[in-house]
Amino acid sequence: MATTTIKPETLVGKKIRRREDPRLITGTATYVDDVKMPGMHHACVVRSPHAAARIKSINTKPALERPGVVAVFTGADVKDVGSVPCVANLPGLRRPHHHILAQDRVYFVGHPVAVVVATDRYIAADGADAVEVEYEELPAVADPEKALAPGAPAIHPQWPDNTAFTFHQDGGNVEQAFREADVIVKQRITSQRLIPMAMETRGVVADYRAAEKSLTLYSSSQAPHLLRSLLSSIFGIPENRLRVIAPEVGGGFGSKIDVYAEDMLMAFISRRINKPVKWVESRRENFLGTIHGRGHVDYYELAAKRDGTMLGLKLKIIQDIGAYLQLLTPAIPTLSVLMMPGLYKFQNISADVIGAFTNCFPTDAYRGAGRPEATHGIERMVDILAAELKMDPAALRMKNFPGKDEFPFATATGLSYDSGDYALPLQNAMDAVDYSKLRREQQQGRAQGKLMGIGMSAYGEICAFGPSPATPTGGWESATVRIEPDGKVSVMTGCSPHGQGEETTFAQITADELGVDIDDVVVLHGDTLIVPYGIGTFGSRGTAIGGTAVYYALQELKNKIRSFGAMLLETDKVTLVGGACVDEKSGKSVSVAEIAAASYRAMKLPPGTQPGLVATQFWEPPNFTFPFGAHMVITEVDRETGKIEIRRYVAVDDCGKIINPLIVSGQVHGGVAQGLGQALWEEAVYDSNGQLLTGELTDYAVPRAHMMPWIESSHTETPSPVNPLGVKGVGEAGTIGCTPAVVNSVVDALSHLGVRHIDMPLTPEKIWKLVQAGGRA
Amino acid sequence: MIPQEFDYTAPDTLKEAFALIADGERKILAGGMSLIPMMKLRLATPEHVVDLGRVPGLNHIGEQANLIHIGATATHHDVEISPVIRARCPLLAETASNIGDVQVRNRGTIGGSVAHADPAADYPAALLALEAQIRIASAKSERTVPASEFFLDPFTTVLEPGEIIVELLVPAEDGSEGYRYEKLEHPASGFAIVGIGVRIKKGGRGISLARIGVTGLGPHAFRALETERLLERGADLEKAAATLGEGEEANSDLYASADYRRHLARVHGRRAISIALTRAS
Amino acid sequence: MKIAGAHTLAVPQERAYALLQDPEVLGKCMPGCDALEKIGESRFHMKMKMVMASMSGLFDGTVSIADQNPPASFRLIVEGAGKIGFIKGDGLLTLIPIEGGTNVQYEGSVEVGGTIAAVGQRLLDTTSKMMIKRFFDKLGAELAASGGARLPGTMSGTITS
Repeated sequence: MATTTIKPETLVGKKIRRREDPRLITGTATYVDDVKMPGMHHACVVRSPHAAARIKSINTKPALERPGVVAVFTGADVKDVGSVPCVANLPGLRRPHHHILAQDRVYFVGHPVAVVVATDRYIAADGADAVEVEYEELPAVADPEKALAPGAPAIHPQWPDNTAFTFHQDGGNVEQAFREADVIVKQRITSQRLIPMAMETRGVVADYRAAEKSLTLYSSSQAPHLLRSLLSSIFGIPENRLRVIAPEVGGGFGSKIDVYAEDMLMAFISRRINKPVKWVESRRENFLGTIHGRGHVDYYELAAKRDGTMLGLKLKIIQDIGAYLQLLTPAIPTLSVLMMPGLYKFQNISADVIGAFTNCFPTDAYRGAGRPEATHGIERMVDILAAELKMDPAALRMKNFPGKDEFPFATATGLSYDSGDYALPLQNAMDAVDYSKLRREQQQGRAQGKLMGIGMSAYGEICAFGPSPATPTGGWESATVRIEPDGKVSVMTGCSPHGQGEETTFAQITADELGVDIDDVVVLHGDTLIVPYGIGTFGSRGTAIGGTAVYYALQELKNKIRSFGAMLLETDKVTLVGGACVDEKSGKSVSVAEIAAASYRAMKLPPGTQPGLVATQFWEPPNFTFPFGAHMVITEVDRETGKIEIRRYVAVDDCGKIINPLIVSGQVHGGVAQGLGQALWEEAVYDSNGQLLTGELTDYAVPRAHMMPWIESSHTETPSPVNPLGVKGVGEAGTIGCTPAVVNSVVDALSHLGVRHIDMPLTPEKIWKLVQAGGRA
Repeated sequence: MIPQEFDYTAPDTLKEAFALIADGERKILAGGMSLIPMMKLRLATPEHVVDLGRVPGLNHIGEQANLIHIGATATHHDVEISPVIRARCPLLAETASNIGDVQVRNRGTIGGSVAHADPAADYPAALLALEAQIRIASAKSERTVPASEFFLDPFTTVLEPGEIIVELLVPAEDGSEGYRYEKLEHPASGFAIVGIGVRIKKGGRGISLARIGVTGLGPHAFRALETERLLERGADLEKAAATLGEGEEANSDLYASADYRRHLARVHGRRAISIALTRAS
Repeated sequence: MKIAGAHTLAVPQERAYALLQDPEVLGKCMPGCDALEKIGESRFHMKMKMVMASMSGLFDGTVSIADQNPPASFRLIVEGAGKIGFIKGDGLLTLIPIEGGTNVQYEGSVEVGGTIAAVGQRLLDTTSKMMIKRFFDKLGAELAASGGARLPGTMSGTITS
């Protein structure tokens, strides 16, 4: 046997450039809109300009008369197609039937009313313009608190109280805690509606082949298998005749976990016209017809002892649901409840959630999904308590953290925090900014009229969703690792990465475990025909669960490689190291590539072994993981204009063991960008009639490169005991840690003027008015 | 972009352009930073788009007899980096560098922006402060209009159907003037919530000349004549700036109320004047 | 969006009241409108071309007059819908006799929907004011042309959304 090159270097923990980037930055990646098929038709959706109206009539004739228009479908054509699915459940949940085209009423601006199918995209759009719809406008309500008020117009006539569900959770004895408290602080805190704004809008190509009774659906999805299963049950197409492909997905942030009306509509149309059909969402449609995030009005009460010991927390959440339930809509605020104690020890909570129907597009999972709202709430309340007690906010936090030897730590909401050292990132962040010196500078500056704020958040999050009993979609993940006859390695993952960099991190894990060159590893995903089955990418789960499945598949494969290696080297025991099996006695070795060739050639097999080198593992996690960290933000407020400048942004994140620091930093940067978006700029504003006034990028301010501060990102590494890789997850951390740190900082800058709380976004005029009022807010 | 069907012509000469815009639902494309987004949304549905982008020489920048000539299709980026403009009317270059983002500055043109007359556009503030002239031509005639008479209402100017802005004429400076463009930009659109362009000359004991253009505040850009007068008469900076926007109608939208805009005009005005003063020699 | 303002017309109160309800006058003075066609008691059909910047759109709708209290006040309701969205204006006009004419005060709301609502909010305030101003300017010009005196139009407005 030849001696192979030993590859001693390990890649896990190293900054490896993302292997997916060359195709992305050279514009050669294939997105849904790049898919072209012979005979492909194009669809354009006619949408309601009203938030609530009865449809009096639809005249499709002027559209049908246009050359190139092949068909126009309206609500009547699709009334027997099932509802757009929601897989989350709560006791007493009211589920409005969400038809893929409006029936007799429309419930939000942008509600699909008809769809025009034509031979090209321009003709389809002209056809959609030609459809005449007559509406009788009805009163609408867009504000969740107004929707719940007596006398509000009923979104769904059958439920005049506009209540989608109520949910209650208790932990410990909150009433007793409040009786024993020296101080109780209360605050109404909102988390405004946001628009996820993936750079690639949604798109669908459906290709139904009648002869094969098969449907292939390209969709910009975060969860292609889930989409396949749900479409299968909706349309009665068996899963073995249904293929879903999520090609390159240009961002999702949760908004592409959902099954949307348009996914179903394209499947329906392709089956009706027996031709492939494409629909690609315009940016305008993306504002109106892709899920929104957040949409909370929260009422907090925090009880504490005079010495700062927190005793208990009461929370009432009013969740703006929108007009319908999308895939996970009602589950999102329950995640806020789970995370309501934040990183603190107190054991008494009480939470009430009311889901309010409104004449808006549904809310659902958006980066952080329920945890940013909860973290914003508790971290604001801690600062409010600190102000009340005249304590330093960092000291108050430190006092209430569980010690690092108290893990696993059981929370009042029934979770078991896996591992942590909560004081460490906060201390690191304080050291990074020279906290006590900064406080002195702040005092001196105030004397000169300077408004400088020091704000922090100590955040925790629940991620790596999750144990299946607690995850509506199922919470395990699959991986298949196949060493091809030429020794190259294919890794098929069930999580469907779309920007998280798992083509790189999974290749790092694989290269290390097998000792092969990383360039010999290809990570495949996003096609139900390639991947056995999978759940998807969301809830910071990809690496912790998908990566662990890869790890276990690799262990199975390594056993097989070793038995082949031992057979080929004619020995009992070999060591797999550096891409080769080595017989330590003889010093002979055989490479993994040689073993692969032999395993497929199968001239001789080890006893009880089958040919080939393929292993598949489905891994079910025993618990969630709980990353944590601290963000520290120094702001300066221009007292004349109210404009906020971020002087420093320090993020210390602990996401468990780090596989690729470059990717982790990228995730933190992106997460912080979206957090800053919420804190400073973004807001989906509806008027009282349910018109979305920030309905294009001229008014809805997503952060752009020149608006970003320098982010000083560093890490502590507390391994998770939940999985063998020790990883936790980092996709959402930046977003979760950011908003309270920014708001705390600005409130801190204005605190001596009597300002106690400011709702997001912190627009200059809002701040200017507070300064003007001398803080009377 | 899926607009409604339209014809597109890119004439090689202005003469051809005049013939093309003579009648019907015509729109002139001079960069397209405002027109194209509206066509994409089908809010603008011209039958015919006449693109001035290929008329040779229409994007010239140069100096002649103490006048800086800037062709209508010079991009914001051209204006921002032009050595002539930077040396001879630097306020205009500074203003151009504040427009939108890099992509917009690379495509958008000065003539297009001025003709469009968005009430929140940046250029008008500078052009007013610079006492620029706008040269307009049609098939039959030609005229030159001072910037101070050009803007009438939101998106409304003295331009008549059939007329095209050919170039902008800016009096060249000797480098002794002080200047500044200050704005609060909208975080989404980059438009000026309020933008103030200031040009100042020192003389004798104080300010011998003050020119201030204000954009974003009202229905169209305007000169702050009272503030200019006070400055020239030696009034205290604080006092003079306090008159900025006084008596003017102020815009209001989701992002900034009329009161806030008025306040911003005073604050940014004071800051712009004060920076201009430090730059004046 | 709430809108309020005032404008002065150089005619006595009764004449101003009649003028502001005269479909011929309204049709002539409403920007972008050609003519009004009577379709019921105090109800007219309207076709209007709205132009704002490069945007333009045809609106089909109605103008109606309600709550008549001659010569002091009435409500003017304008509703139109087209491909680019819909607009609705509902205002109470109060006519106060002043020296040499009538002060017309208006207070009401302007609502827009559809695509123009999504991209037009930045310009809604300034455009609404401009349209109202143009209406009164045109009305003033019409009055002057028909031999009436022309008062310098004064206009003030406040907007809250």
